[in-house]
Amino acid sequence: MSDLVLIGLNHRTAGVEKRERAALPATEVPGALADLTARPGIQEALILSTCNRVEIVSRVDETSSAFGVLESFLAEVSGLPQTELADSLYRYAGNLAVQHVFRVTSSLDSMILGEPQILGQVKSAYGLAVEAGASGTVLNNLFQAAFRVAKRVRSETSIGEYSVSVSSAAVELARKILGNLGSKVILIVGAGKMGEGTVRHLADGGAGSIFVTNRSAEAAGELAERFHGTAVPFDQLRYWLAHSDIIIVSTAAPNVIIDRGMVASAMHIRRNRPIVFIDMSVPRNVDPAVSDIDNAFCYDIDDLGAVVEANLEERRGAAAVAEKLVHQETEAFWARMKSMDVAPMVVEVRRRIEEVCHSELERYLKRNGPRDPKEIKELEIMVSRIAGKMSHPLVTQIKSAHEDPTHERALLTVVSRLFRFHKDPG
Amino acid sequence: MSWTLLVTIGFYTLGLLHSCLGFYQKRQIFVTLALGLVGAGFLFHTIFLVGLGLERGHFPITDLPESLSFFAWSITLTFIVASIRYRYNVLGAFVLPLVSLLMILSGVAWEENHAIPPLLRSRWLYFHVSVAFLAYAGFFLMFIAALLYLIQEKELKSKHFRFLYFRLPALQACDELMRNSLFVGFIMMSLTIVTGAFWGQQAWGRFWSWDPKETASLITWSIYLLLVHYRLSGGWRARRAAYVSIAGFASMLITFGVNAGLHAYL
Repeated sequence: MSDLVLIGLNHRTAGVEKRERAALPATEVPGALADLTARPGIQEALILSTCNRVEIVSRVDETSSAFGVLESFLAEVSGLPQTELADSLYRYAGNLAVQHVFRVTSSLDSMILGEPQILGQVKSAYGLAVEAGASGTVLNNLFQAAFRVAKRVRSETSIGEYSVSVSSAAVELARKILGNLGSKVILIVGAGKMGEGTVRHLADGGAGSIFVTNRSAEAAGELAERFHGTAVPFDQLRYWLAHSDIIIVSTAAPNVIIDRGMVASAMHIRRNRPIVFIDMSVPRNVDPAVSDIDNAFCYDIDDLGAVVEANLEERRGAAAVAEKLVHQETEAFWARMKSMDVAPMVVEVRRRIEEVCHSELERYLKRNGPRDPKEIKELEIMVSRIAGKMSHPLVTQIKSAHEDPTHERALLTVVSRLFRFHKDPG
Repeated sequence: MSWTLLVTIGFYTLGLLHSCLGFYQKRQIFVTLALGLVGAGFLFHTIFLVGLGLERGHFPITDLPESLSFFAWSITLTFIVASIRYRYNVLGAFVLPLVSLLMILSGVAWEENHAIPPLLRSRWLYFHVSVAFLAYAGFFLMFIAALLYLIQEKELKSKHFRFLYFRLPALQACDELMRNSLFVGFIMMSLTIVTGAFWGQQAWGRFWSWDPKETASLITWSIYLLLVHYRLSGGWRARRAAYVSIAGFASMLITFGVNAGLHAYL
């Protein structure tokens, strides 16, 4: 008999120091897997270790003893005392373990709902387990199903759709105002880190031309080079205001650099074409009164935060749909897995019975000398039929054990014992 | 009521429901379905109107129920064209309710027997009234675009990112829709006045009589002329234009409703 168990800790159950200690770098994982699968009762194993979680999934002989084995294993590799570890560990078995794996892979358990990195991280962990030979049919099926479910969640719900970082929120706003950004002109004022992230998003999203300006011409040149843009002199700021559609301001200046008057005249030159200011500086460099000007839009860091918050709320709505999807998939997977479990047992039962029958026939033939080939053929047929008749009722019982979950475990355990199955084949 | 009309109404209603669903849930699939359903409805509506015209022996825009139905048809046409060009979730939810309303009103006001006033027996009827309705449909679409623009601008300026922020198209997109529907509506309106003048000459002997409807349509046309000028000369302040187009739409409604003087047949 085999069971599925999972233990782990994540950003919700353990602080960063504990997670740091429990984490396993990718280089150490193969060794750890080899160690783990050698331990009693552990058939297959996978270790997932990221900055936000450490989890071990395993196919085991027996659930309750397995938890102990896994927990002491984790205590050993992390160097954390088992009691301290126990406070932070969550434990899942059977279909709950399946559901957890599906949820994690679909980013429903992530710190930022809907984040795309976790899928790649789970895929790497799976790759390591396969390479180390620690993953067998059950875990292979489980994780391949998990990847399919994650894909479904991504495509059928809108969970990944909303910008939840400040930089992507800035781009989202620019798009909501200006539409397609392909032909738009971007001006970067200053060289702050925040501004860079936003520009990167814009550039990736296919924006038009990029111009950079800074009090320090050198800094401007450097930034311009990084984004394949053009550096322009800071004293020409007024000119460039009038000729840019998106202006990203991120400087260390403690005061307003761009005031209402400047923007009003810029708008006049621009014939009132819309202009978007993204002011990522604290304290703000763009006069908030700029927002009052017709067709001028100004967003500071708090406004971007508000967009992110609104988007997270939307993601939570999508998450509810995703959870339902995951639940359905878990049920389907668990049903499939249960039906698969008996197949190796059935095969083994038949094989053993046939083996016994045929080996006895061989012994008889050897002892009693060669016979007429036709007679040998008939004896073989008779022996096969004996084997078939013996195994048939057993196989039927095993297969129908599914219909009765309460007795199933008992029956299958008895069959295992009767046929002395030590390690489950397959 | 003929079965084609029932089928039409059925498709339009389903289309409206899907549009609203797609708008609320922000899922593109519903919007695409809605377009398909409305398209099917439009086909049947066309068949119905053609059948009606053949049966009655004239272009079906001579009395109120006929014109309401034709107006609904024109709006649906502009909706389909706009939807193919711009797949915006919101269009259906805002435009289709009017179509359904018009169809219901048309059904309610339906007269089986009616006689056409002698003045309406003319080839000019086809041309003049159909471009008039297309103009109305175009200006209606512009009105909707203006509303969407103003709402979205408010959301963006207020910096509270709520329900509508997520569902309305980009400002730029609303502006483009305003511009395109303006040009279509304006051209149609100009044609309406010109064909009306020629028909007037044929029917009453004068190109222009200053009757209430003629005057109202001239006022409407001037408002939109102003908008076209604004648009072409640059310095286009979209928000101001949106307000003016709302005024233009009000004027348009009055023009449609005024049926006194020489135009008193409806």
